[in-house]
Amino acid sequence: MQEKIAVLMGGQSLERDVSLISGKRVCDALEAQGYRVLALDVTPDLVTTLRSERPDAVYIALHGKYGEDGTVQELLEFLGIPYTGSGVTASALAWDKALSKRLFRAEGIPTPAWVTFTAAAFKQMGAATALDLVPGAVGGFPVVVKPAKQGSALGLTKVDGPEGLAEALLTALSYGDTAIVEKWIDGLELAVSVVNGPSGEARVFPPVEMEPKSGLFDFSAMYTPGETDYYVPARLDEPTMAEVTGMAARVHRLLGCERVSRVDMVVGGDGVPYVLEVNTSPGMTETSLLPMAAASAGMDFQELVGHLVRSTLDATR
Amino acid sequence: MGTARVVFDRWSDRYAERMADVRSSAVRDLFAAATRPDMISFSGGMPEIRRVPIEAVVGATTAALRDSGTEALQYGSSEGRPAIRQVVVDLMAEIGVRVKPDDLAITAGAQQALDLIAKIFIDPGDTIITEGPTYLGALQAFSAYQSNVVCIPMDEHGMRTDLLAEELKRLGPQGAKFIYTIPNFQNPAGVTLTPSRRRELLELAREYDIPVIEDDPYGRLRFEGGHCMPLRALDDEVIYLGTFSKIFAPGLRLGWVIAPHPIMARFMLAKQAADLCGSAFAQTTAERYFADTRWRRVLQDLTRAYAERRETMVASLAEHFPAEARWTVPEGGFFVWVEMPSFLDLKSILAEAVERGVTYVPGDAFFPDGRGRNCMRLGFCYAEPDAIREGVRRLAEVLEDRLELYRAFAAAGALPTVDDPTDERG
Repeated sequence: MQEKIAVLMGGQSLERDVSLISGKRVCDALEAQGYRVLALDVTPDLVTTLRSERPDAVYIALHGKYGEDGTVQELLEFLGIPYTGSGVTASALAWDKALSKRLFRAEGIPTPAWVTFTAAAFKQMGAATALDLVPGAVGGFPVVVKPAKQGSALGLTKVDGPEGLAEALLTALSYGDTAIVEKWIDGLELAVSVVNGPSGEARVFPPVEMEPKSGLFDFSAMYTPGETDYYVPARLDEPTMAEVTGMAARVHRLLGCERVSRVDMVVGGDGVPYVLEVNTSPGMTETSLLPMAAASAGMDFQELVGHLVRSTLDATR
Repeated sequence: MGTARVVFDRWSDRYAERMADVRSSAVRDLFAAATRPDMISFSGGMPEIRRVPIEAVVGATTAALRDSGTEALQYGSSEGRPAIRQVVVDLMAEIGVRVKPDDLAITAGAQQALDLIAKIFIDPGDTIITEGPTYLGALQAFSAYQSNVVCIPMDEHGMRTDLLAEELKRLGPQGAKFIYTIPNFQNPAGVTLTPSRRRELLELAREYDIPVIEDDPYGRLRFEGGHCMPLRALDDEVIYLGTFSKIFAPGLRLGWVIAPHPIMARFMLAKQAADLCGSAFAQTTAERYFADTRWRRVLQDLTRAYAERRETMVASLAEHFPAEARWTVPEGGFFVWVEMPSFLDLKSILAEAVERGVTYVPGDAFFPDGRGRNCMRLGFCYAEPDAIREGVRRLAEVLEDRLELYRAFAAAGALPTVDDPTDERG
């Protein structure tokens, strides 16, 4: 008898729409491989449904808050249901860009200079009086201002000078209680996907290069067809390619990611690959970066999904 | 292994220039998140269709098919069936507009009329005049023809005709192709153009020889105040757009346009190219529905429900909203327009509102040029009164929290002073 897989999708996050598309595609891919598939939107009935249906594993096709930050992972561990993707700690670390960047810095992994602000620091401690120190702290403008915990580049603004900084911070803080001001690195933007192979070894897919026509890979560039050109594998020379793939594997291990992650980087004019963030629940839509990378490595969407589920099931044997 | 450029849409360099500005927006995605079940939506403009008696519609549909099935299922005339046009003639007479069936055509909602009017009037780069803010669907229809939209600010009496006069003078003769206005319970501002301003608007249009397009979807949904004569009742040259969407149901996609005969002739050429003819099936159904006088009671019932919701929303705003907020109190229609201090960006705050389970439309959607970010449109038409109270309460919490943050920035002198022309609104 084929195993029963529950696919979690939708939920309450701001990326609900993207998640529903990812989830639907994952369901189709699993059904085509003969699994019994249970498509579940995340509602207050979720736990009751999971307890009565008793799936053999859960595929987490959620994006954003609660699906990617360790919340649903913690719950599934409590319920004793194996799930695809990274565990609680890795999820929480990757979700919080302020935390993961600290870890990169501590481990000597290049990441653009940054400062972090919480809403409370502004409201209760007068942090807004020190915004003049920001350029000095990160090495000057331009900077990127973004929420520390949010996906799909929602709330992201590129700021070219001091006059736009406050407004960008207020925008970012509308998407969460913490904002990051990060030095803008002019260069090649890359998404490097990593999956764990049969014996657990990290396998790095060919890096995908994003070239947004507006110059900024924001929400609109991500989801409007034709707004961004993608190149697979990225147009890198051999030494840089080796460095990029090595670093992706290293970051995947460092955060403790399991089965799959997507490491976003930018290769600066100095040739140095800087790690921006790690995504533990990469998008699985038709235009998403992970499936694009897998396809370039000769692994089609069905194989990719099948691999993630099979390795989850095997790990519990 | 060679690098491959990944192509999702290999036709992307073949599309027309006029679609180039239409992009995916983050706001659109936030509304997708708003499909979750516990969400209270103030963002839509959907009529309370649950109060339309389905049995009456079943009766109308059955009768339409039984008595004139071969006509209902056949192609019809481009201007619409004579019987439905007679229904419109009678409806218009009730609001003081005397027309003959020949003076009007049935369209697929008033939206089709907007598109076709834009098509017959606008060349790329042409200037047109609207209220600011104005109906989003009109902006979309007009911008697809690459028009340059000039917005005239409003106050509680509707479009500022003194500013319209200035603008017309500045633009000079032949400066604008037409003036588009929603005089009753304007979408999104909720204000109504006063009788004296109606006359001033028409005088200016005559003086500068500019067609006026009067869009009147909400005119019959009046809660209070006196009846205002439609512009079309005061001037036969006005192009009038009406719709069955609010007095019957939007699902039928039935609207109408009344225009001077030369304009109508152009309009019909464009319409034939667009759709040959409208749905004869929908038209026969509406003919039957309006043949029975029950529709008047349904409309009264609907209007009472909207009035109660308007009351609830306005009372809840007064109870919960921050002291800095200003809002309009509409005498009818669907929408309240809220204005916050100019430094508050309601577009970015929408993310937090969605997170807290309430939606609205940020004001900049109703301007062609990014203005109105400190404003929002709240639709009271669809949520039940209890939900309206709860939604306003949630929204007030979000705004209060944001204001605290903005005050902290302002106190530190970190906020640039925003030069926002919507501040002219009285």
